[in-house]
Amino acid sequence: MTDHVSSALYVYTKETEPLIKRLLANSFGATITPVAIDDLVQNPQERLVGTSHVVVSGTLDVIKQILQLAVEYGFSVGIVPGETQKDLIKSYRLPRNFNAALDLALRRDAQVMDLILCNEKVLLFKGALGRVPLIDAPGDVSRFALLVPALKKFFGLKLLSFDFTTAGGQKIRTAASGCMILQRHVGSLASRLISHDSSFTDEMVSLVIAAPRSVVDYLKFLAWTLFNRSAAHKQLPGAIGYIKSPRIHITSEIDHDVFIDGVRATHTPLTCRTLPGAVRINIGPDFKEENKRVRPAGEKIDIDHLPRGKELLKARKKQKIPFFSYASEARFRDLFAALREDARINMSYMVLMVLSTMLATVGLYLNSASVVIGAMLLAPLMAPIVSLAMGLLRTDVNLSKNSAIKIMGGILIALGAAAVITLMFPHKPITQEMQARLNPTLLDLAVAITAGVAGAYTKSFKEILQSLAGVAIAVALVPPLAVAGIGIGRWDFHFFNQAFLLFSTNLVGIILASAFTFRMLGYSAAVRGKRGIGVAALFLALITIPLYLSYDRIVEKRAIEREWKNERFLVNGKYLIIQKARLSRRGDKEVIFVDILARDQLTRADLTVFKQKIQRNFTRKLVIRARTIYIP
Amino acid sequence: MVMKRNLSIALLLTAVIWLNGCEQKSVVQPSGKTIKIGIIAPFTGADRAKGNEGLKGIKTGMQLTPYLQNGDTLELVVEDDRGDPEQSLKALKKLAEADKVSAVLTLSGSEPVLAMASIADDYKTPILALVATHPNITRNNQFVSQFSFDNDFQGAVAALYVRDELLIDRVAVFMNPDSTYSSHLGDEFSSKFESIGGQIADTIFLSRDADDYEGMLKRVRTKNPELLYLPIEAGNVIRIIKDAGKMGWAPQIMGSDGLLSVVLIKHKDKSRLLDGLLATDLYAYEAPLTSYGEKATPEIKGKPTTYAALGVEGYALLVDAMNRCNPSADRSCINNMIRSTVDFEGIMGKISIGPNGKAARPLFINAIHGGKMKYIVKVY
Repeated sequence: MTDHVSSALYVYTKETEPLIKRLLANSFGATITPVAIDDLVQNPQERLVGTSHVVVSGTLDVIKQILQLAVEYGFSVGIVPGETQKDLIKSYRLPRNFNAALDLALRRDAQVMDLILCNEKVLLFKGALGRVPLIDAPGDVSRFALLVPALKKFFGLKLLSFDFTTAGGQKIRTAASGCMILQRHVGSLASRLISHDSSFTDEMVSLVIAAPRSVVDYLKFLAWTLFNRSAAHKQLPGAIGYIKSPRIHITSEIDHDVFIDGVRATHTPLTCRTLPGAVRINIGPDFKEENKRVRPAGEKIDIDHLPRGKELLKARKKQKIPFFSYASEARFRDLFAALREDARINMSYMVLMVLSTMLATVGLYLNSASVVIGAMLLAPLMAPIVSLAMGLLRTDVNLSKNSAIKIMGGILIALGAAAVITLMFPHKPITQEMQARLNPTLLDLAVAITAGVAGAYTKSFKEILQSLAGVAIAVALVPPLAVAGIGIGRWDFHFFNQAFLLFSTNLVGIILASAFTFRMLGYSAAVRGKRGIGVAALFLALITIPLYLSYDRIVEKRAIEREWKNERFLVNGKYLIIQKARLSRRGDKEVIFVDILARDQLTRADLTVFKQKIQRNFTRKLVIRARTIYIP
Repeated sequence: MVMKRNLSIALLLTAVIWLNGCEQKSVVQPSGKTIKIGIIAPFTGADRAKGNEGLKGIKTGMQLTPYLQNGDTLELVVEDDRGDPEQSLKALKKLAEADKVSAVLTLSGSEPVLAMASIADDYKTPILALVATHPNITRNNQFVSQFSFDNDFQGAVAALYVRDELLIDRVAVFMNPDSTYSSHLGDEFSSKFESIGGQIADTIFLSRDADDYEGMLKRVRTKNPELLYLPIEAGNVIRIIKDAGKMGWAPQIMGSDGLLSVVLIKHKDKSRLLDGLLATDLYAYEAPLTSYGEKATPEIKGKPTTYAALGVEGYALLVDAMNRCNPSADRSCINNMIRSTVDFEGIMGKISIGPNGKAARPLFINAIHGGKMKYIVKVY
């Protein structure tokens, strides 16, 4: 028995008619009967009864017509593709060379395959409705060629309501920009996403749903696409859903045109169903190996990333997709449970606050950085602040209220504990560790913002939670509070004011940065108010003013101190070198402390001239404090 | 809603009024009267850079303040003295008698100004010497005022800087015996340096026609000086550095006022060769500017030099003195006002001129680094 069929009908079109001679002269011993497609369609019964194999060469429409007839008459099909039919060649692994293609087309071992019909139209590779940016992009283009149209398509992207009903009766209501029905289409990103789970013989219709809920979501998907193009992936990226069922019925809030194999073929409502093992087609041998008949599995529904419930409402309300993602609480159940726990005030929190403040206060008096760092690590303030950020972002009144109470309680405990310790101390020195917390600037706000981002980020991912200790050190919440408490104990309003400004800077900075980070990460509520974040932003704006002024003062101070190191004075013939200068503010006065190098003994008269020269040449009104060091 | 709108309008009006207030300047109406100011400077000869740069500065000052406060227009009458004292005298005579200028600004060096000083009282015309630093130009006359610091101050500061900051013990001094400026400054430096425990290892008198630089340097080198103090012309300084380099010798070198400016104008191609060269000066490129300096320096065409800056400042100080006189062209009054200038805001600091005609102003010590002038210290 030979490998090739003994006879076959050759169906041709006007364009493929010249191939008849070559088919008739085939070297595989097959007897070829040519028939024009028009003749066949007019009288299929006459032509097809008793025909066991048909070779076809023509457009996709013609091939689909033959496949539909194959379902009815049971013949196997060999395809001789045209050079331009790349999808066909790729999907069925057909040879490009005519003789090789004819060899394959005349073989007798055709592959049994499913046939998908969408609104009774044959779907060979893919169907698309709505906007399916990126996932319909060809897989063999450069990253740049992928990026440009992807960014273009992004404009005007909108999620619409869709209902999907599976053969098993599952009803799924979601919002998506569009979807693709796939029949082992090769080359697009969508086909790669499901390649591990797709077969010509699985008796299923595969549906890939694109639902980027935000610009950030879309950009993340784009980045994923750009850097994960080479291999198949078992896990679906965010913004993508997947349904696999023998039959899927799709309805949408507005009618969509449905493009089947690149041609506008029908519109929604759409029903796609599979005809299991309906046709036998001669496909490439390697492809045949990949598509060995598999035992049909059950329906598969992977829609975790698609909008649901309140999210769906939000998606439908928006004219365009929002910049940041949003999520219902159900989506991140564990995180929200942890945040609610963090927002609850309890005894261990209060004890830790007292202990950390005591440690910080003693460390500040000892001028010991290591003790102060220990206090930072012990302090439990960061957790309720992060919870408050989430509460404000999601306008979750309970979460916000509980967190705020916990923070306020912590602040009062810290201020009280530090004040009491200060009152108990007989000697109250102002150490460098304290002074370091009396001049908050915009740089401190930058630290708070960065720490806030890091705090929210670490809180969002369990596997990096241990980094939260580093965040606590970076932002140092308790030491400024302890210094403010010391200010109360000293009854020094300026002391309290400056240290509390630093704490407020950290607090507001962390809240806003954490809220922003949570928003970036997609934790924003589906239905969200803006008042909470607005209030925090207002506080930030207000706090920025004194910080800016303080920063400006520090920059100016440094510039003055630097300039002063270049100043020299010739006083009554004596040369005075300013070796070091330090500008300090004492109330409303500016005091410049200078170290003067001099060769000769300075008299009272010399110092008077020195002072006069400063007063005459410098516009700032400075109080001068000089220390003379004599050059030997 | 109406209240909101009214509030917006009120705020807008306030802003407009406030901005107008900020922008509003007292506009001087020209009176039609012209007051002449004489300029005596070397526009030809070896010192022409001083004259040309200085005049550029004066013209910049004029551009900033073309009128006196009473609306009188100022007009410049320019005379070239080629740096020659005889020509300076002729120019002064012409300006005072024929042109009837109300004041003279001079960019000439110490010798021409010393010549003018000897007869200044005869013309009773105030002369403001912008560049000359010889201390004697204000001596025995009432009408010459010195705008720069004098060489007593300059020499003493240089000596103190070398001794106390560079911690140098032995210095060799080169001076030009034909130049009263050079010889006086060299002497002043030497005496101050010795008075504070330093040692003058050698003193070289470098006449204008001297050409055996190598021989002189060989002699000096045997005395092991750590620094050469060179209050001499830029060309000679460059020659000494070159010849010392040929001998494989690179001592620390310090020059005097205007040196770095001349080097950067006339010998720009050699500025890299002069890396590390120190000099006392009236200005520094990187030192902080006063508010007047911030307004004036961008107006100077090209890179501001010491002489251009002196021109701008000198003109401004003269205008300030004239503004305090009534009538503003009164020579005697202008002279008195110049000599009672207190804390006039210059480009880089305050300038005062006392009744003796001496200026008190900061001095800078600069150095050339990477072909550029770098500011090291400012001395009050």
